[in-house]
Formats: sequence, structure tokens, C-alpha cells
Amino acid sequence: MSAKREVIPLPVRAPDTASGSGPPASMVVRGGDFLFVSGLTAADLQSGERMLGTTANETRQILINLKQLLDAAGSSLDKVVKVNVLLRSMLEEPNMNEVYARFFPDQPPARTVCGARLPDGVKVIVECTALA
Amino acid sequence: MREIIAAPLAGLDLRKHYGHHQSPAVRAGGLIFCSGMLPVDPHTGERRHGTLTSEAHVVLGNLKLLLESAGSSLERLVQVHALIYDSIEYDVLNRVYRQYVANGPPARTVWTVQIEAGFKIQLDVVAAA
Repeated sequence: MSAKREVIPLPVRAPDTASGSGPPASMVVRGGDFLFVSGLTAADLQSGERMLGTTANETRQILINLKQLLDAAGSSLDKVVKVNVLLRSMLEEPNMNEVYARFFPDQPPARTVCGARLPDGVKVIVECTALA
Repeated sequence: MREIIAAPLAGLDLRKHYGHHQSPAVRAGGLIFCSGMLPVDPHTGERRHGTLTSEAHVVLGNLKLLLESAGSSLERLVQVHALIYDSIEYDVLNRVYRQYVANGPPARTVWTVQIEAGFKIQLDVVAAA
């Protein structure tokens, strides 16, 4: 018996994994009852252009994109079970937390936040697991 | 179906004590996803800074409390991300960790990262419900 594994097709153009110009990662993959979302950085989902800014602004953009991706995959922010937030500096944790709280008004998912070296000058990466 | 697991003791409610916008754990799809576990006093929420060894004992004790209150246990851990502040402490981590996962230890990855409030360890885990 094998459980369902499916790369979720999304109505966004970037990053383009198929042409090989983007990173070799799918944004959302379903495995069993769960959706696994790749670490997201702040970008315009349509153009793929980076939207680097403050920790608060990057967090906001990422979570707007996450909402759109989950909705497109038939899930939603309400169904997120676990979030990992990677920050360039843990000193920025309160700035991330304040914006983050607006996207999960009640019964927020489990979450781990840590500081790490992030690529390309980004300040925030968010990855998550949600119920499909 | 997604179910929020409340803190079994007041000190483990990091949202209340530190404003972290997160639930202690969430049960979904037969699994329990725990928020990053920190070395805080399970009764008061006070930070328990110390050596990596002493912090690890507090974290694993807290994790045991949380999982058992949700009907799971350390024996049912599936995956662990052990976040530590410096990879030089890897062997120290293993000495403590080993005591809590004696039989069939879970899958594990150790990461060296910056942890909030200058803590030396944080555990990010998934357990079978």
C-alpha cells in the first residue's frame, strides 16, 4: 500500500522549477494527509521578484504568499499544524511575531523559531506543514 | 481534523509567558507536532539557563510532560530536530539525549543555530499521537 504523493500544481509563475531556472524544489508537495511547503522567502508570487525589506515586511509578504499557496492547494492557514521560522537575527523575533500573529488570529499552529544564516540577504524564511 | 494541545502546566504556555504566537502542540493526522521546546520552569515559565546538559534535562522533562498529557510519550517520538548553539557540544548533547530515548530512538537531525534568549538547546519534535 502506498500513500498519495503529489506535487501540487500552483497558479503561480515563480520559481520555475520545470525550466531549471529556479531552485530544484516544489513549493507545495502533498504526502499522505499533509501538505509540505518549501521554505518561502519574500517575493512577488506572480513575477518571482524578490521583495527584500524589514523583517516585518518580509514576514508579511511571505505569509500573504503562504495563504495564497495553501488556498490554491485546497488547504488554508486554518489547517496549518506546524511552522518553522528561520530569522537572520533572533533580535528581530518580536518584529516577526507581531506580524505573524495577525495571520493566525486564534488557535495558532505549533511553531519553532530560530536564528540561522540565510541565503541571498533574506531576513526571513518560513516553512510549514498543513493538513491537506 | 486539527486539535490544539494545551499546556499541561502553566509554565509551558510560552504564548502566555513570552507572547510567542503559537500553541504548545497540535495533533493532526495521527501525529503530534510540538512547538520548539525550551528550558523553562514548567510551573512558573521562568527561564532556566545553565549548561547544555542542565538545559537539556529541563527541555526533555518538559517534552515528556507535554507528550504524556497528550496521550503520547518520549517512546513515541518519530522525529527530532535538536537545535544547539554550538556544534562543539554535540557529544554533550548525545550523553544527555541518550538517557531519554533508550529504545529505538527517533530520527534526528542536529542543527547549530541561534536560539532565543541565549538558550543553548531547543527541541523541535514530531511524535506519534
